[in-house]
Amino acid sequence: MKVEGGLFTVGAGFYFVVAGIYWYMSQEPIGTTVLSLTGALALMVGTYILFTGKRIGVRPEDRLDGEISEADANYGFYSPHSWWPLMVGTAIAVVFLGLVFAVWLLVLGVIFLLISIAGWLFEYQTGYFAE
Amino acid sequence: MTLLSDRPTTTESGAPQYARQDRIGRTAVKWLTSTDHKTIGYMYIMLSFFYFALAGLMALVIRVELARPGLQFINNEQYNQMFTMHGTVMLFLFATPLFAGFANIIMPLQIGAPDVAFPRLNMLAFWMFFWGGLLVVGGFLSPGGAASFGWFAYAPLSNSVYSPGVGHDLWLVGLSIGGLGSILGAVNFITTIFTMRAPGMTMFRMSIFTWNTLLTSVLVIMSFPVLAAALIVLEVDRKFGSVVFEASNGGALLWQHLFWFFGHPEVYILALPFFGIASEILPVFSRKPIFGYKGLVFATIAIAALSMSVWAHHMYVTGAVNLPFFSAMTMLIAVPTGVKFFNWIGTMWGGSLTYESPMLWTIGFMVTFLFGGLTGVILAMPPLDFHVSDTYFVVAHFHYVVFGTVVFAMFAGFYFWWPKWTGRMLDEGLAKLHFWLAFVGFHITFLVQHWLGVMGMPRRYVDYLASDGFTTLNMVSTVGAIVLAISTLVFFYNVYKTYRYAPLVQSDDPWGWGASLEWATSCPPPRHNFTVIPRIRSERPAFDLHHPDLASESR
Amino acid sequence: MSIVQKFAKHRGVRVGTTGALVLLTTAGCTVDDFLRMGLPDPATKEGPIIESLWTNSWLAAWLVGALVWGLMIYSFIKFRQRRPDEKPEQVKYNLPIEIFYTLAPIVMIGVLAVFTWQGQSELTKLTDRPTQTVGVVGFRWSWTFNYIEEEVHEVGTPGERPVLWLPVDETVRFELTSPDVIHSFWVPSFYQKMDVIPGRTNKFEVTPNKLGTYAGKCTELCGVDHARMLFDVKVVTRAEFDAHMEELRELGQIGVLESGRSTDAAGVTE
Repeated sequence: MKVEGGLFTVGAGFYFVVAGIYWYMSQEPIGTTVLSLTGALALMVGTYILFTGKRIGVRPEDRLDGEISEADANYGFYSPHSWWPLMVGTAIAVVFLGLVFAVWLLVLGVIFLLISIAGWLFEYQTGYFAE
Repeated sequence: MTLLSDRPTTTESGAPQYARQDRIGRTAVKWLTSTDHKTIGYMYIMLSFFYFALAGLMALVIRVELARPGLQFINNEQYNQMFTMHGTVMLFLFATPLFAGFANIIMPLQIGAPDVAFPRLNMLAFWMFFWGGLLVVGGFLSPGGAASFGWFAYAPLSNSVYSPGVGHDLWLVGLSIGGLGSILGAVNFITTIFTMRAPGMTMFRMSIFTWNTLLTSVLVIMSFPVLAAALIVLEVDRKFGSVVFEASNGGALLWQHLFWFFGHPEVYILALPFFGIASEILPVFSRKPIFGYKGLVFATIAIAALSMSVWAHHMYVTGAVNLPFFSAMTMLIAVPTGVKFFNWIGTMWGGSLTYESPMLWTIGFMVTFLFGGLTGVILAMPPLDFHVSDTYFVVAHFHYVVFGTVVFAMFAGFYFWWPKWTGRMLDEGLAKLHFWLAFVGFHITFLVQHWLGVMGMPRRYVDYLASDGFTTLNMVSTVGAIVLAISTLVFFYNVYKTYRYAPLVQSDDPWGWGASLEWATSCPPPRHNFTVIPRIRSERPAFDLHHPDLASESR
Repeated sequence: MSIVQKFAKHRGVRVGTTGALVLLTTAGCTVDDFLRMGLPDPATKEGPIIESLWTNSWLAAWLVGALVWGLMIYSFIKFRQRRPDEKPEQVKYNLPIEIFYTLAPIVMIGVLAVFTWQGQSELTKLTDRPTQTVGVVGFRWSWTFNYIEEEVHEVGTPGERPVLWLPVDETVRFELTSPDVIHSFWVPSFYQKMDVIPGRTNKFEVTPNKLGTYAGKCTELCGVDHARMLFDVKVVTRAEFDAHMEELRELGQIGVLESGRSTDAAGVTE
């Protein structure tokens, strides 16, 4: 995953350099802060990808001569359909509406949100799907 | 687990036949609980197009009011709501979700993946767009009306003293929700592209649209958190009395820096996916590969990186920003954009061009965007920007670049991919009528606005004096807007007519010269996209499959 | 028949071209206007710097545009499909050309940058001791002009635009403040504006060198009456200016007003 990781780490380097140039030219703290934090974000993501890439090695999609048959036969689990995204989405909306209108609505929203997130996380662990 | 009772009857052949009301219920549930990236993408596109039409109506209100001096139809406050919401809806509820829609449908197909990395998260992001959008426009239903402080919501105009209505709070939280949704969507796209490509599909064999989706998503995760933070802090200022954006604390400039640090990458988030669409269409209708693939990729990376360092060119007239730094960075970003342009021309050069509707719309995009790019370089220069900042010159510039890119390339993408999505082609004759009405209407509306701005007409003005001399050009602009509006009706009719009457497409690649993997599967594709994936040895796997005599390997 | 003749036969093209010409003449464009692309006549000493940068930049822009539109239109015509089974050469890249069209724009913007920086340092510089200072207060929704050296002021309302008097051929420094939200102080004929930001004092200088009356406008959204925050600028001789200052003194508009409201009991017009 060298290209993927490089995209972010080289980007991080670019942002740190630009932040330095910006500070030198302007002494403006807000822009310098956001540019540096952007670099930090890119560095975090990039190093994670590079470390993961080193751990998993070269994959069929990283090789110019990769054959379709080399793809992992078990392509992974794809949720066939789910009500939980709608529930979590609605809960988030209630939380923010609570921020606008009333604290009790905010509290109700947070409770609803926690329940929905739990439902989402355990959707494929119980009942028909239990291991 | 079925949520609706089945009451099938059987047809003559013995297949179950559901009563019509069950079918509607089943379809609704299927759409509400979908985790299929294609369905989710269609939902994004339909909802964002609804918002396009809504914001378009607001634009009509603005143009009709401005046609002549004097207030004819609406008052000052309503006018301020109109332009605020027109900008907000167009940028946040139309163009950004439209990117999510196109990326959702097309990108997994182009990399040979069965879906995205996080299908339920994908759907969550859509619901956050849905609810966020409802909250934002819900402001219109409140007593004080919708937000009216401009889509940039400058502090301290946007605080609870100067903008007291709840419509403003709804705007802030609605956009926070939508913004968080965009971030989740972007994370999904990046992960999918990094981890779910088919064997042989190296990073430098991905299609340009997929590269642009990746880079746009990277921009989203870098810029939207800053926006979300600023919006939420402003809302806390308004509701709980904090003073982060208080003028005496330097809040006015703090808001501008934070907003534009998001705001500038946002316009590249809007542009890059649609540059990607153009890069897909030009090779197909020129019957040649995209010219300078690697140069295009590096140019797009340069644009994405630089776009985070130019934000204060929106702030030249604040007298508080370092002009040399920002003018240099801004002029620099014109270079990779120009490189992309020459690559597109290089694609057509020496080709065999035909002008079906996707190509017409792409050409319309190129012709229009070029002019917007040129006025952008003028605006990058502070001595010139001092005069034209915050005037109709800027309004003209950004409509040229944003409408020119997003709307023209959107319709190009619709006409191009419609058979892939629905199994039917849109009517070519109506498509061409649509294009010419839109192209002519657009230029009549916006070309004259450059003049208006330079002469002295500020933006966000509900009215102007008869003695200003702005009347004729405003009338012209309004006529153009009406032509533009009519052009959209042609599109609606086309969609309806072909839905009812058009024949099904028989091949995987109705255009004949498709390059990327989506043209190697059926129209529309099966649930997990492919029954068979062809061998991938270049950035044009479907082309290599269908035109083996012209196929080539690439690094 | 040549391409041009084919085009000219097309009714749409004839209508379109005539329409464009009619439009341009009825919009009141003179040849001069056209070359300046709508820029008003300059009224300051600094104006010509901006004017020449504007016209030269536009010239460069039109040239680049002509080149690129030209290349596009040439492609549309020259490379259109002639036979349905055509298979063009599948050219993927051309490194020399790509390097050329990466470097050439860098050179072009390098040139632009040099002229830009010259211009902006000229326009943003502040002299040591200006002869005339005007404290401009932008408030919702009009302007106060405080003539600092003369210690008088003028206040406007949305219904009655205030008039800013300036002495000709003298460098005036504007000091911009706001008691409420961000506004922006713009005189189109001066080609310059600067924001009026609460919590900050902005400064810039111009040297008006043409007698006359010019329009002024607020150019940052500030609320409901943003479009009514207009003002006029009268550039007059020093003598007329001093006389007007005397008039303001007689009206009792003495002292510096920090906002649009006066706490002075001596009948200042609001």
